[in-house]
Amino acid sequence: MSPHERPVAASVTVTADDVQRLCEFLYRRTGMLFDGSKRYYIDRRLTERILATRSNRFDEYFAHLRSDAEHEIEHLINAFTVNETYFYREDHQLRCMTSNLLEDIVLRRSSDEPIRIWSLPCSTGEEPYSIAIWLMENWPAVDRYDIEIVGSDIDTRALKAASEGIYGERALMRLTKSIRERYFRPLPDGNLQIDPGLRDSIRFTKANLIETPSMNEYRNIDIVFCRNVLIYFDDASRRMAAENIYDCLRPGGYICLGHSETMSRISSLYQVCRFPDAIVYQKPEADDGNR
Amino acid sequence: MPLIKRGNPLPTETKAPGVTGSPVGDLTSPDVDVRWRAVRGLSPDPALVAPLAKALQGETVPRIREAIITVLMRIGDETSVRVLLPYLRVQDASARTAAIDALRAMPDATLPFMTALLSDADTDVRILAAELVRGMPAAQATSLLVALLERETHPNVCGAAVEVLTELGTPDALPALQGCADRFSDSPFLPFAISHAITRISRAGG
Amino acid sequence: MATAETKGRRARILVVDDSSLVRLYYLSALEKAGFVVEQAINGIEATEKVLDQDFDVLIVDVNMPGMDGISFVKDLRRRNEDVAALPVLMITTEAGEQDFADARAAGANYYLVKPVSEADLIRHVSALAGWAR
Repeated sequence: MSPHERPVAASVTVTADDVQRLCEFLYRRTGMLFDGSKRYYIDRRLTERILATRSNRFDEYFAHLRSDAEHEIEHLINAFTVNETYFYREDHQLRCMTSNLLEDIVLRRSSDEPIRIWSLPCSTGEEPYSIAIWLMENWPAVDRYDIEIVGSDIDTRALKAASEGIYGERALMRLTKSIRERYFRPLPDGNLQIDPGLRDSIRFTKANLIETPSMNEYRNIDIVFCRNVLIYFDDASRRMAAENIYDCLRPGGYICLGHSETMSRISSLYQVCRFPDAIVYQKPEADDGNR
Repeated sequence: MPLIKRGNPLPTETKAPGVTGSPVGDLTSPDVDVRWRAVRGLSPDPALVAPLAKALQGETVPRIREAIITVLMRIGDETSVRVLLPYLRVQDASARTAAIDALRAMPDATLPFMTALLSDADTDVRILAAELVRGMPAAQATSLLVALLERETHPNVCGAAVEVLTELGTPDALPALQGCADRFSDSPFLPFAISHAITRISRAGG
Repeated sequence: MATAETKGRRARILVVDDSSLVRLYYLSALEKAGFVVEQAINGIEATEKVLDQDFDVLIVDVNMPGMDGISFVKDLRRRNEDVAALPVLMITTEAGEQDFADARAAGANYYLVKPVSEADLIRHVSALAGWAR
């Protein structure tokens, strides 16, 4: 029988050992780390992928995954990151920004330069707009400083959508009614559009994380949000992205990754910072020659 | 509103003092920033392997060392692998780790060296080599590690091989694993690890 | 006699090793001896756990991909917090003088060479847990 004729199992069970093996593999390949509390979530996603690849059991699927046939690793990562973007996604990092990072940044400021925050990749704009709205809603000092927010992506269609700032219910689901009223206006088709003032105050640019010349145009950034993208890269590209971002950051600047991500070869470039709401990575302030 | 948008592009970098405009020469500059910019501006050109190797030898700043290795990884051919192999033997643990992380990302270029690495006189090199086998297809990896287990005398090398076989080993590995368990029945850890590997492979092998 | 108690409660141990098999091996031995055990797969997860929770002893493998054990301990010792003084048992594969010196220089309190027997592990962890008083 050819693979396409093989009957698909109606259901598949995965054992704790299977999940363990999968998580170890995923960690080595992507840096993604899952703790024990994610067990049910992983079971479900894994079972979906086993069925989607017409594998009859875990070991068959695992062999398929190891060979990365048909880009299965990418499909698996997509399944785990819930590849959707929406406002206030992973807001614990936004909270970390207003509770801890900004305090440190303003303390160390030596000039009146604006505070620069970069969302990269910004996709269709939910993240940079979320940063802006969150700041205005939650940072008491927001009126005391000039803040520059940039959203960048490699995808020009996404950037165009981001500058238009039109969103439907799925993207808006975590926003309260009062926030929607304050920052959006309704459109005839039922979608909401970000107010022109806010739309115009965010710069959307094309940039490629792993292309050094592209990244060299950005300097003195205080915070970079680079979430759920490094996990898709191979090792060399991941390292280049980390080096590129390093050069874009001001000394003492921060980078926020996605919730389950860890950054490899981290010790030479960044220091791990544990705050109540998030783990972030910091570019050292002074070059003591050891970094 | 506190949000401001610049009409002009964001501040870009200006050329630092000491930069000669010749990246290869700058790789060995006494100035840390000059060296950093030099390596960061390189493209993955195989002709750069020799100057990169020289720069790597003398480099003490970890982030610059890492950046040199990143370029070598991007070149990713056998000459790059040759540059990195000697670092598997150095005393400095972070240099060894840096080298192994890079080699792990270049399985195709490393393949021709695997047999020699797995029978190297240095125990630590054999241990690191066993870890590198993880990046290979299961059948090939199993056969290399089975050959290793059959002749290996050091328990830590066996341990490293057993680790990898636990992830990808096929049932072909079972006899060698059992043989290893018999030979090292008095060793701490190894019987535990082998029993775990055998259980997993047997269950999967059906 | 080795004891798993310190400060009148069971001592808490963090095992840092990229190998799940090794972590499992230490975990079984330590739990049998009455310790409470947490695990971390790399220096970053370890840093997070060390800053979040109280531990009495860290067991750290030297050869970990990404961030080797020596770099992790050096980083720990640089922090201006209670964690900087945490007792560390370093595990390595070499028995040479240089590795011992490197481990001590990084800030490790003690050093064992793989393969580690259960008895050696428990004896050294108990001693370090006692020092945490």
